[in-house]
Amino acid sequence: MRNKPDTEPHPILIQAEGLSKVYRRGSETVAALHGVTFEIRRGEFVAITGPSGSGKTTLLNLLGAMDVPTAGTLILDGFDVASLTESGRTQLRRHRVGFVFQHFGLVPTLTVEENVALPAFFARRNDARQVSELLETVGLGHRRNYYPSELSGGEMQRAAIARALVNRPPLWPADEPTGNLDMQTGLTVLGLFRRLNADGLTVLVVTHNDVIASAANRRLDLRDGRLMGPDTGPTSMPRVPAGPG
Amino acid sequence: MFRFALRNLLRRPVRLALATGGVMVGISVWLLLMALGDGYRAGLRTELDRAGIQLMVVPLGCPYDAAARVLKGRSLETSLPSEVLGRVRSDPDVSLAAPLLIVSTPREDERRSDLWVGLDDSGRALRPWWKAAQGAGWFTSTNGFILGSEAALIEMRSVGDRLHSPELGQTFRVDGILSRSGTSDDSLFFIPLSAAQRMVGQEGRLTAVAVRLRDPARLREVMQRFQELPGAQVVTMTEMMGTFLRLLGTVRSLTIALTLAACVVGILGLLNTLLAAVVERSHELRLLRALGASRSQVMGLVILEAVLMMWAGLLLGVAMAFLMGLVLEPMLQPLLPLAPLDHLLDWRLVRLLQCLIAGVVGAFLAATLPAVYVGRLQPAGALTP
Repeated sequence: MRNKPDTEPHPILIQAEGLSKVYRRGSETVAALHGVTFEIRRGEFVAITGPSGSGKTTLLNLLGAMDVPTAGTLILDGFDVASLTESGRTQLRRHRVGFVFQHFGLVPTLTVEENVALPAFFARRNDARQVSELLETVGLGHRRNYYPSELSGGEMQRAAIARALVNRPPLWPADEPTGNLDMQTGLTVLGLFRRLNADGLTVLVVTHNDVIASAANRRLDLRDGRLMGPDTGPTSMPRVPAGPG
Repeated sequence: MFRFALRNLLRRPVRLALATGGVMVGISVWLLLMALGDGYRAGLRTELDRAGIQLMVVPLGCPYDAAARVLKGRSLETSLPSEVLGRVRSDPDVSLAAPLLIVSTPREDERRSDLWVGLDDSGRALRPWWKAAQGAGWFTSTNGFILGSEAALIEMRSVGDRLHSPELGQTFRVDGILSRSGTSDDSLFFIPLSAAQRMVGQEGRLTAVAVRLRDPARLREVMQRFQELPGAQVVTMTEMMGTFLRLLGTVRSLTIALTLAACVVGILGLLNTLLAAVVERSHELRLLRALGASRSQVMGLVILEAVLMMWAGLLLGVAMAFLMGLVLEPMLQPLLPLAPLDHLLDWRLVRLLQCLIAGVVGAFLAATLPAVYVGRLQPAGALTP
């Protein structure tokens, strides 16, 4: 376990070993994850699947450094998440994780451009050109001054994707990214995922959607907080439309 | 960050208006009270210092009321015994004793009264601020009179004009018109003391005697001697000012207590508004944490919102105080004894700075609880809508 990453990028981006998470609700304890072990290499496209209550969101919280495991070890890009301070986890989220939320998570009072620039602002960076390029990449250059309420679901998700990319994080967890989109828009977003993955981003998608899951190189199937069987391994690529831009 | 905070506040305009309204009222009342206190104190001091007198001999009754009326040029029902002036003037410690008689003549058709102030030559020395705008600065004949600047405007008189008073059966000639002084003199008619005494048909009648001492340090001894004058009592200018200031201070303390209570309510209102806003936006704030915002960044956002709200209330409160001052100043002036005629409200920069500092402190106080709440929010909830 290291507290500082190597100078060279580690080929293994995530290393989870015996990962457990127990929540306390008053006197009751609820075990959400039971000793989950897996590795994710850089540049992989991994789908985390499983029914509701299987621990997908808990796992995503841990992998995104938003929470700490109750037991086990989680090394994220060379950092031991459990041993980091609150501030250290913030730094990790800021620079190494780019979240995409099911409900987009755009701030309603900010324009598309301002929403995209938000993580960079928190990192005290101001790169307007990069924000513009990202907006062009996701096909929202013409909507930069719009507010989220003025966008369609697909546009909102594309704005959220651009936002997740702004700090150039190596890990890109997405929670049901097509859950609130119609089929066609979902496939467009999936195409964008594939393209970004092809550019070297590590994509980690929690999904119920078989099309999305089958687009991944690998599947981690969770049942009652346990990883089921061996990894499904790389799958064949589905035919998806190319993303915008 | 500033724009972000501002837009967050503008999400709920009614809530914002109510919270800033509370601050606005508290600040405006506070500023008005301070301006009134400062203005009144300064006016009183100027009025009393300018005359250069240390004490005043007035008829029996409330000495402060009598002295205040005399200084404001208002008549008294009672008068001093005629021998008082001679006894005061013969006192070895007295440098100057200026008798005066104030006569009120009602102008029923115009629903007002003219106030005639009778002075002898010694009274000239107590009015160093007198400057003649027209004509002479002092009486040239026993029937001559001098008009205050406002009185001249109301009467539409010039130097040399004659004024017949049917009520008094006498004709007076305007000897001079005074420049505006900002004191009660501006609205008065000044005549020689003997003429005023003829008006009331009572030789030797006096309303008061203003006294200047050779050595102000001998005030206590002189006071003791004058207390024994029959039918008269003595009030020192220091006592008088002290009494008025104490009275003003008591009223001000009460109102300041009420204003402070209003400010506390304003801050609680602000706190409530902020707390409601952050509870409502919990998910969004968790989301910001998930996107890389540090605990201090989200807490800073809430504090900035509080400061913006407080400053909006402050600016509106200052504007409201000035507007209310314009309306209230002329209403309050006749109600306060010895109120300065020019400006009763004295707007001081230091009071404004006090308000601004209090505003920032208040904003921080109001933001503390919401900021602590926000600081405890964990990003883990961001995934669940």
